[in-house]
Amino acid sequence: MSGLAIETRGLTRRHGRKHALDNLDLALPRGGIHAIVGANGAGKSTLFRILLGFLSPSGGEVFVLGRPSAALTPDDRRRIGFVNEEHTLPGWATVAAVLAMQRRLYADRWDARAFDTVIASFDLSPAQRIGQLSRGERAGFNLALALGQAPELLILDEPTLGLDVVARRRLLDALIEGASAEDRTVIYCSHQIEEVERLADTLVVLERGSLRNFSAPDDFRERITQWVANVPFKGPPPDAMPGLLQHRKIDGVHHYMMLDAEPGFADFLRGHGATSVQTMPVPLDRAVDAFLTRNHAGPAA
Amino acid sequence: MSRTAPLAITIATGDSRPIVRQIIDAIRRQISTGDLSVGDKLPSVRGLAQQLAINPNTVSKSYAQLTAEGWLESRAGLGLFVAARRDQLSAAERERRLGEAVDRFVGEVIAIRYPADEAVAAVADAFDALTLVRSA
Repeated sequence: MSGLAIETRGLTRRHGRKHALDNLDLALPRGGIHAIVGANGAGKSTLFRILLGFLSPSGGEVFVLGRPSAALTPDDRRRIGFVNEEHTLPGWATVAAVLAMQRRLYADRWDARAFDTVIASFDLSPAQRIGQLSRGERAGFNLALALGQAPELLILDEPTLGLDVVARRRLLDALIEGASAEDRTVIYCSHQIEEVERLADTLVVLERGSLRNFSAPDDFRERITQWVANVPFKGPPPDAMPGLLQHRKIDGVHHYMMLDAEPGFADFLRGHGATSVQTMPVPLDRAVDAFLTRNHAGPAA
Repeated sequence: MSRTAPLAITIATGDSRPIVRQIIDAIRRQISTGDLSVGDKLPSVRGLAQQLAINPNTVSKSYAQLTAEGWLESRAGLGLFVAARRDQLSAAERERRLGEAVDRFVGEVIAIRYPADEAVAAVADAFDALTLVRSA
């Protein structure tokens, strides 16, 4: 059995002339929580649809739990749980009916304890119809159903989107509890960097369909540093600064966000007339933001 | 069977310190201030992860580093406990801490506009007083 939960080689998916996924090489080991972040349109949802076999690639190869995603058997699919952002469940059905169906489908592997643990923190009664549930209740029920299925691979597409603080915290607690099961791999995408910081073992950054980072979140954060320099006049030209992510001039002081700044960067700034140079680490959300926005045109310095 | 000491710490996301670091700093501070005493039992990895709503692997990393540094010790089958103080810091680390302490002190003295030589003399007096107490 392969040691990878997910492997893609040269994975490409075109929508018309646009590349949603562009030659993506990704290898996610089994176990732990892998968080995928990227701007809207970076290819996260397309990747998930391909992993689940809802969509076929335009090119390249995809392996899920060691098997080509196009050749997943019904038995393979039973080992994969999926929670989508809309928490889609039939609105006319009762909670009891949906639960009974899920239990029947996964009778041989149903984990009642996992289901009960999650559902206990959401106040649901069996007779309620799905359509009457709040978004938070539906999210909790959906995650409980997925964990009850005891999946080897759990894929979550922005599970906390649109939830209030209370529901979000309950969902996170459930996720932390559920992810610690032996030999379970969780793949999770979110725009909430705060959650990623709490949950993720690895941080995968996608940008325009390609892989830009694959490391522990703290290792990613360490690559990015903020510099504040007092440079009379213009400062060094941006194209002389490899690794420059962001540059802003505030009250005459230059602020730089740098990726993999070279050890001599302070001297470089002084060489361009900086009278004072300070550097500091950045929080993860700032690091991700600077990294993802680096190619966007900002106000001219 | 020893009971787990409550660990009143919080972490903040969006801090420039990683969560691993925040936990390490908080536990060290509690040990230094006596909020945690030698022999106190730490929460389980899973327990602290639940308390802080974070990935258990993060707690494991913090505990591993504190154990390697001699702040905590593991007793087989029982869990992690606050270890008896030894000289836990490397020479480089002690030098770094001293630098930080001096920086803080100098910052305070500058803030109240005290002459440097008088501040230095006051520090020397404070250390002399310590020595007197100890040799008495």
